[in-house]
Amino acid sequence: MKIPAIYAKGDKSIWIVVLLLSLISVLAVYSSTGSLAYAKQGGDTEHYLIKHLFLVLSGLFLMYVTHLANYKMFSRLGQILLFIAIPLLAVTLVTGTSLNEGSRWLTLPIINVSFQTSDLAKLALIMYLARLLSRKQDQIKEFKQAFVPLMVPIGVVCGLILPANFSTAALLFATCLVLLFIGRVNLKYIFILVASGIIAFALFIVIAINFDLPGRIGTWKARIENFSSGESEANYQAEQSKIAIANGGLFGAGPGNSSQRNFLPQAYSDFIFAFILEEYGIMGGFVVILLYIILLYRIVAVLKYSPQTFATLLAIGCGIMLVFQALINMAVAVNLFPVTGQPLPLVSMGGTSIWFTSISIGIILCVSRFCVKEKGGEDAIA
Amino acid sequence: MNDSKDILGRARMIFFVVSFFGILILGRAFSIGVINRDYWQAKKEHQTIKFRTIEAARGNVYSTDGSLLATSLPIYDVRMDLRAEHLDKVFKKEVDSLAYYLAKNFKDKTASEYSAILKRERAKKNRYFLLRRGVKHNVLKLMKTFPILKYGKYRGGLIVETQNRREMPFRHLALRTLGKYQEGVKSIGIEGAYNDFLQGIEGKQLVQKISNNVWRPLNAENEIDPKEGNDIVTSIDIIIQDVAEAELERQLKKHNAQNGCVVLMEVETGYIRAIANLQRDADSTYDETYNFAIGNGTEPGSTFKLASLMALFEDGLAKPDDIYDTHGGKVRFGNRWMKDSHEGGYGKITLADAFKLSSNTAISQAVNQAYENHPEKFISRLKKFRLDQSLGIDIKGERPPLIKSPENTSWSGTTLPWMSIGYESRLTPLQILAFYNAVANNGKFMKPQFVEEIRHRGQTIQKFDPIVLNEAICSQNTIDMLKPMLESVVEDGTASNLKNPFFKIAGKTGTAQIAYDNGGYIKNGERKYQASFVGYFPANKPKYSCIVVVSAPSNSVYYGNMVAGPVFKGVADKVYARNLEIQDTEQKFAFNYSETEQKRCANANDLAVIMSKTGRKLALPVDEEWIQVMQGPQALSTSPRISENDMVPDVRGMGLKDALFLLENKGIRVKVNGRGQVRKQSVKAGTRINQNMEILIELT
Repeated sequence: MKIPAIYAKGDKSIWIVVLLLSLISVLAVYSSTGSLAYAKQGGDTEHYLIKHLFLVLSGLFLMYVTHLANYKMFSRLGQILLFIAIPLLAVTLVTGTSLNEGSRWLTLPIINVSFQTSDLAKLALIMYLARLLSRKQDQIKEFKQAFVPLMVPIGVVCGLILPANFSTAALLFATCLVLLFIGRVNLKYIFILVASGIIAFALFIVIAINFDLPGRIGTWKARIENFSSGESEANYQAEQSKIAIANGGLFGAGPGNSSQRNFLPQAYSDFIFAFILEEYGIMGGFVVILLYIILLYRIVAVLKYSPQTFATLLAIGCGIMLVFQALINMAVAVNLFPVTGQPLPLVSMGGTSIWFTSISIGIILCVSRFCVKEKGGEDAIA
Repeated sequence: MNDSKDILGRARMIFFVVSFFGILILGRAFSIGVINRDYWQAKKEHQTIKFRTIEAARGNVYSTDGSLLATSLPIYDVRMDLRAEHLDKVFKKEVDSLAYYLAKNFKDKTASEYSAILKRERAKKNRYFLLRRGVKHNVLKLMKTFPILKYGKYRGGLIVETQNRREMPFRHLALRTLGKYQEGVKSIGIEGAYNDFLQGIEGKQLVQKISNNVWRPLNAENEIDPKEGNDIVTSIDIIIQDVAEAELERQLKKHNAQNGCVVLMEVETGYIRAIANLQRDADSTYDETYNFAIGNGTEPGSTFKLASLMALFEDGLAKPDDIYDTHGGKVRFGNRWMKDSHEGGYGKITLADAFKLSSNTAISQAVNQAYENHPEKFISRLKKFRLDQSLGIDIKGERPPLIKSPENTSWSGTTLPWMSIGYESRLTPLQILAFYNAVANNGKFMKPQFVEEIRHRGQTIQKFDPIVLNEAICSQNTIDMLKPMLESVVEDGTASNLKNPFFKIAGKTGTAQIAYDNGGYIKNGERKYQASFVGYFPANKPKYSCIVVVSAPSNSVYYGNMVAGPVFKGVADKVYARNLEIQDTEQKFAFNYSETEQKRCANANDLAVIMSKTGRKLALPVDEEWIQVMQGPQALSTSPRISENDMVPDVRGMGLKDALFLLENKGIRVKVNGRGQVRKQSVKAGTRINQNMEILIELT
């Protein structure tokens, strides 16, 4: 791992973790798309590999470019991006390309790239919250001066994502609350909010189960019902995932030997962790989980020397957003959680969302770069 | 910096929560993958899911005029799950009536036999009992009304499996050329050659086993939808094809011949409009079993003389009016005698007459004299005529031609003269036809093609435009010398029996002995002959070229003009009669009855409607179907128009719809010119109607 260390600055360990996860990603995606390649690309098994390699490499490039920036710039950028992202979310909700009945995608007119507006909004919101939290540190325990202004952007963004993509909205909301907690917002208010949220959600479920509602609500309802009823016949996806894990056992079936990839829905994305558990076993799964934990550990460790509160909250915000998503994906694969459509960041095959993940890592690395500089010498943190 | 420390402390707290959660996930994975491993693995054995391929509908094959030559129809295997979950309730009660219906409709077993079988198979717990294989849709629909079966899959145990069967609505027409495609078997014809276009792309569907042989789709939609194949529009003209096959079969039967083929090609484009191959079966009927036209290379015989003369003319080594002595019909080359088929020869004749009369001696002398010392010059000429190359047609199985070279070990002193009259070389009927077609097309050598277009749901996705293999195989000068000679063959030569007053045919007869497998021409005292006629028509403005080859005509008559000629003539006549664009219309339909009718004529019912709508009153003759109306001195006068059965009706003054209705109902083919009311008709009213009658009506 010498090469990135020479050209790239920032925390070495984070770079290594990211590169290792990318490597696992390429291996897993190549093997898991085999049947997809036969089905849709006439047996061109390299088709998805090449596409994915391109995305991963371009993601690493974006990461590198991002980490070269001055972190202070993200304070203003977050503000601007949020003002762009909110109208975009609204537009997507109304006109976006509908996949699986969820309006999540927006196609950029000139360059013809579609991306999930929620990816952009997530990043913008985290940046903006880090800015706001750092500015309001003096009156952070107040309700009116701190809690309400912080909750407004969270409510707006999550509210706009919610109709099209429940799980992303919920995950983002949880991440934001944790970030508020880290940012020293009064815990009392957060608890009250969570409690009322739980009550509202329970009400919603009662309504959804008793009435037939249109759109995505039908999908959510089915998923929750399947999870809670535990009916093996109905919960096909979860069952296939468990069979995959059993197939893998402790040491795995070996690379390229998955048989469940034909039956796992989206073995290359939503259920890639189950796929990794099948081919590389519990040991492989352990390595993946460990890498995410190391990632979070390094972020926290580096921030000891953080130059500014904003930098700390920015890096930790990006970090928990990523790690939480990873945990949710993995929890779904082992059936600790109802089936949601969250990809495993840095590992799943996926289009443009890889770029946004890469940018968040870039931001973390960028902050880590400043942690090093002002404390003099890399040895201080290594 | 106290705040900062607080923040970091909280972050660490979250880190521990995350780590704990990570351990939880790992533990859960361990519980599934290690502790409960056997349970989940057993589940996998128990629950079987597989991809089922969904056959894509194969594309259709059409004739150039849009008739369906081949299509795929679904057929069904009807089976019963005799242990279906809810069958108990009805089986006992209704099995006898089901047996009764089966016996009544299929008549292959009695009702009690059916009943016994069903009961026995049920006792055997047969969950996949075959009731009927390969039934068509209407039969399936009927069976679904039978007792028990009418309850469907779960209560009635009905299992229906769909397959696609290739159907050819015209049955044997061009069967071999249409060919067939079978996985893993040598595929033939257009179906084989264009399989990639026709076959489409299979779909896939995830299915789950719910009981023995019963698979249920896992998801409502197919994982991959099948894509239907493309349609192929062949160049075959179904009517010409029909005529060609009928004529060929008649002639083969008449001469009790072994096999024969006929190919008709459009001169300008090279499109094959008809191709028929028939072979005598063990039971003396004729069937399409081998594509002789493209796969059977033989010594062409006299039809090759055209190439010999073309070479002589191109090299300027002879002229049509050069005179050769036939030496009493016997000329010696080396140790072999060359004989004319006409005993005693033709005396001294011009080269043109030698061609017309198909004199072997004169032509072989002409070629031998000209090329004796440089046979390679003759061969290189033949190569320039593209006679040594395969046509490269899309259908598999073309036999490459054989044109010997002086370097070949089999080349001898007598090869050149014998080659000049069509021996010691090998060509398929299609290769000879393509060569003659080039002559008809003034030297432009077209590639014979069987397919014009590939379509998908009516949209053209690929066009097969005519392909020129050689812009000019010889000079126009040579063509101009050869064409009159080809015409004279029919005019007063070996094929004068093909002459007809309506249009000119140009061509050449060929009668060759066929070599047996051992290379000799006589076996068990018998010779085998191959009679052929190849040419084009109308000679003045060639539209079609055609070859007819009849092999081993065993009823002693074996001359090309007598055996192959009539097939050619029959096809040419029909094609000509049908194809108005190649006729001189005025000449065919001489308007010998051309007075223009002033009276208007219409159907009585229609007139009544018109009167009621316009309020005008006319006295209509009672009980007459067709009424003619004329401007009288004061008012319109009406009178019935009477036409008798079997007679051409008078349609003048009628609208097109009425005229067509009347004429076509009487079996007359109608050609229309112009629009409005009928002004003239080419056949006089009252003429007796005969078969295949055609009429031209001119409208104002």
